[in-house]
Amino acid sequence: MSNNNAQRTVTVRIQRFNPDTDKKPYMQDYQVEMKPGMTVLDALHEIKTHQDGTVTYRRSCRHAICGSCAMHINGRNTLACNTPLKNEVTHKNTVTIGPLPYLPVIKDMVVDRTTFWEEYLRVKPWLIPPDDIPEKEFRMSQDEVKALHDAETCIMCGACYSSCAVIGLNKKYIGPHALLKSFMRVLDPRDSSPAERLEEVSGADGVYRCHTIFNCIDACPKGLNPTQAIETLRKLAQKRQKLEEARRERQKHLNEPIPA
Amino acid sequence: MRTFQMQRYSAIALLVFLTIHMIVVHYPPFHIDFGIILERMESPVWKVIDIAFLFFVLMHALTGAYMVITDFESAFNYRKGLAWAAIVIGVAAFFYGSATIWAFQPPV
Ligand code: FES
Repeated sequence: MSNNNAQRTVTVRIQRFNPDTDKKPYMQDYQVEMKPGMTVLDALHEIKTHQDGTVTYRRSCRHAICGSCAMHINGRNTLACNTPLKNEVTHKNTVTIGPLPYLPVIKDMVVDRTTFWEEYLRVKPWLIPPDDIPEKEFRMSQDEVKALHDAETCIMCGACYSSCAVIGLNKKYIGPHALLKSFMRVLDPRDSSPAERLEEVSGADGVYRCHTIFNCIDACPKGLNPTQAIETLRKLAQKRQKLEEARRERQKHLNEPIPA
Repeated sequence: MRTFQMQRYSAIALLVFLTIHMIVVHYPPFHIDFGIILERMESPVWKVIDIAFLFFVLMHALTGAYMVITDFESAFNYRKGLAWAAIVIGVAAFFYGSATIWAFQPPV
């Protein structure tokens, strides 16, 4: 029995734009023979290698790990490397691909992520350890580890950031990606500055600017929930001093065995 | 944070006031009876309720408008000025509205 989708030719519509030569973006169509198991990234490779070497996009791992290949596919932000092409083919036999919205285009699907990384660094996503570092290891309970797990799996692809309507209006907003990282550090019992972090994210361009539109949840290719993280930060920001005291108390026992 | 809190607290207050308002003003047996409306608007208790309602409506509307306007990057840099503008509008509207409510006398 032959699979109908196996050797079908589909039209891949790519938004092209080179700010140096083009006045405005335009769509260009390419015909790609759809092979079994082909992803959107494979289709782009096919086009770049055999049809038009000027088509430009980022990619690296091809395993949904590095986050470089995030783009706007059929109206939603996702990773090209883990999106099967056949799932995206519309009834008109087309797949439309463009750059991540709200970000300046460098060329075709490559966008300028400067603000994305600036906001990321602003929340100090690294661990600020306590003065007394345990000799052997930090011991955390299962629940404490579980609370951090989701945020840790974020691959910084920018899909949430560029789907956020607030970012579309105001690049000074910290953004869901950085707030998710801040949430991870605020909840981390090894981190010694939760109050300072909460102070940073509760300013005019922080958690209170989120309109809970949930675009970030829809866009996240890892199924994470930045909106919930932002809600938690909002709540914690109101009682940050208490949290700081509780953290100091908790850190006195960071090297002790966790009771079962 | 303060703007956010003000908007949320006023939203809770509005739930109470709007419920009272809807029941008393829009549903039978009180609605569209001119005599009852006059009686209510004349009562000092209702005047206080209406002034409190006005206060929370203004707080909710102005903080909401402030937050939406400052969502725009071009307005974001003028937050202070916009906040003052909202305060001035709020205070003026509150005093004007309160004076109108308080001064109401039924036609003899
Ligand atoms: S290429 Fe690395 S996430 Fe897609």
